[in-house]
Amino acid sequence: VDLRNALRGYRAGGVFLALGLALSGIYFVLPSGNAQSALFDAAGFAAAAAILTGVRVYRPSAPLAWILFAIGNLCSAVGDLLSTLLNDPPIPSAADWVYLAGYPLLATGLVMLLIQAGGHHRRAAVGEALIITLAFSLVQWTYIIEAIVDGPGSETERAVAAAYPMMDVVLLAALAGFFTTAAWRTPSFLLLVAGVVPLLVADEIYGLTANSYSSGDPVDLGWMLSYVLWGAAALHPSMRELSQARPRAQELRVSGVRIVVLTAALLAGPAVLLVQEARGVHYEVWAIAVPMMIIAVLVVLRLATILRALERIRLQLVEADRVKDEFVALISHDLRTPLTSIMGYSELALDDDLEPPIDSERRGYLEIVSRSSHRLLRLVDDLLFVARLQAGRLDLTPTALDLRDVARQAAVEGQRRAEAKGIELVFRAGGPAEIEADRGRIFQLLDNLVSNAIKFTPEGGVIEVSVRTNASAVLEVRDTGVGFTTEEAGRIFERFFRTDAAVEGQVQGTGLGLYIAHAITEAHGGTISATPREGGGAVFTVELPRANGNHSTK
Amino acid sequence: VSTSLILVADDDDDILLLVTTRLRRDGHEIVQASRGDTALALAREMKPALAVLDVGMPGLDGFEVLAAIRADETLNDTKVLLLTAKAQESDVRRGYASGADAYVKKPFSPAELSQRVTALLDLA
Repeated sequence: VDLRNALRGYRAGGVFLALGLALSGIYFVLPSGNAQSALFDAAGFAAAAAILTGVRVYRPSAPLAWILFAIGNLCSAVGDLLSTLLNDPPIPSAADWVYLAGYPLLATGLVMLLIQAGGHHRRAAVGEALIITLAFSLVQWTYIIEAIVDGPGSETERAVAAAYPMMDVVLLAALAGFFTTAAWRTPSFLLLVAGVVPLLVADEIYGLTANSYSSGDPVDLGWMLSYVLWGAAALHPSMRELSQARPRAQELRVSGVRIVVLTAALLAGPAVLLVQEARGVHYEVWAIAVPMMIIAVLVVLRLATILRALERIRLQLVEADRVKDEFVALISHDLRTPLTSIMGYSELALDDDLEPPIDSERRGYLEIVSRSSHRLLRLVDDLLFVARLQAGRLDLTPTALDLRDVARQAAVEGQRRAEAKGIELVFRAGGPAEIEADRGRIFQLLDNLVSNAIKFTPEGGVIEVSVRTNASAVLEVRDTGVGFTTEEAGRIFERFFRTDAAVEGQVQGTGLGLYIAHAITEAHGGTISATPREGGGAVFTVELPRANGNHSTK
Repeated sequence: VSTSLILVADDDDDILLLVTTRLRRDGHEIVQASRGDTALALAREMKPALAVLDVGMPGLDGFEVLAAIRADETLNDTKVLLLTAKAQESDVRRGYASGADAYVKKPFSPAELSQRVTALLDLA
């Protein structure tokens, strides 16, 4: 939560919160007596008033939840007042009935907010809230309620006393449900949580130490803080947003808090068993076993939902992949058809047999059209290749071939372009270099390397293409071009990567050639490396497994 | 080089004209179709020495026309060259597997197409 955003427009609420916290401190400094009791009783009424003020100021579209909070707090305040007037009466008294009436109102309000917050994973949220609630209730039963139920006193007395910890379970359930939605980061909600937690803690401590309680006890701090924070929550501008139906959260956030809380809930049953067993204290087996069984069922249901969702997502991905593939094929087809006309008619227009012959200026223009269209075709082919590669669809048809033949072919095809640029291209080959590979792909790979070398080597340079064999069949392309830095060497085979020299020198390219070369090499179970040469230039080395050695194809 | 009757079928008018123009320069006689079904009807009627078929055509696609030509005994002497803008290897393989005598990828060089056509007709 962005603190600055959270505090924007929170002046009145801030004053209320600060004042409330200060008065809570003063409460403990005051001597036990009427002034102290009056301060405590005032806190509840102030909370109810603050909530109603919040509703009036921020006008949430669904104010009912907040009105329930106000009435709930008012009930507690009236209970406090009755307690004071009756001078801490024993349970059950009129105060208890008012107190107990407040809890369901607070819980209902929380549930209403929860429903409005909605969220994509409401069922998951309810399931998780149930798990947490069950775990809490089995702890609650074992440590508090059971003692009260089996304790002394009339049935009414015991029922009323037991009602408090049960109400706490209800409150916690509503709170836990909310925690599993996306709305829990709202500042107003965090303040609400901050208000419910001290209430629960105080109730729990009271439940465990009810006999020694008297007005002015430290436990009062929890209740007082709770009042202050309920009020502060309603005075925060985000209370409006909190009580509005929101667009469903698309992502399923698995926060650390959620995992810790759920794990704790799952471990609660066994932990209680072990603790009670170790202490040699009586425990009610069914009170622990039944919630644990329900929790187990809920966990399995949740798991089944997740697995089903995963399968649905997988099918969607497969479909998306197919659509993308079709799209790429279509685009490729639609680009190729006009390219066929551009390239074909350029060639027809440049035909030497054509009468009358075209003048050299027009010929020059047409040659540029022709050259550009070839470059465009190469780009289309590269993009199509990469798209298919990404889809994991690199079809290889391996045959037995000699790497020297393919390398020679690539060198011969590069020869003309090299000469046109004034570059010497040398081809050297040792003994047979038999490999098992897809001829078209290997040619594409070598052609990419040779074309690259020509592209990056200035006039007067030398390119050496050589094939030799050791454990593998090794092809090397050395050039005297602009080269690359050692840092760039690590990234040079990345998709769309271009070296600084290439960008600055305005060398045409997309950064796909070496990526493709790398992919083809890997698909053949080989390795490719790039090393800068001292004094400029680069060496590209491709090692491919020799035939009847180990090789893999995709 | 002897001249022959060649059926050219492509649904793209510009490419139809491109192929026609280039093959006419070689002295061949050309009949044109821009649909697969028309192409098949023309093939049955004219018995061309060669059919240059685009793969993606309305009516019947190139593969279907090819299959019909191969099934027709009166067209045993007709060679078939498939043109396609689909560049996938699987399409090339399918092209050869379906009994095409030659398979040319778009974009093609008209000069290269002419050489392929000449080579096919010389074999006959």
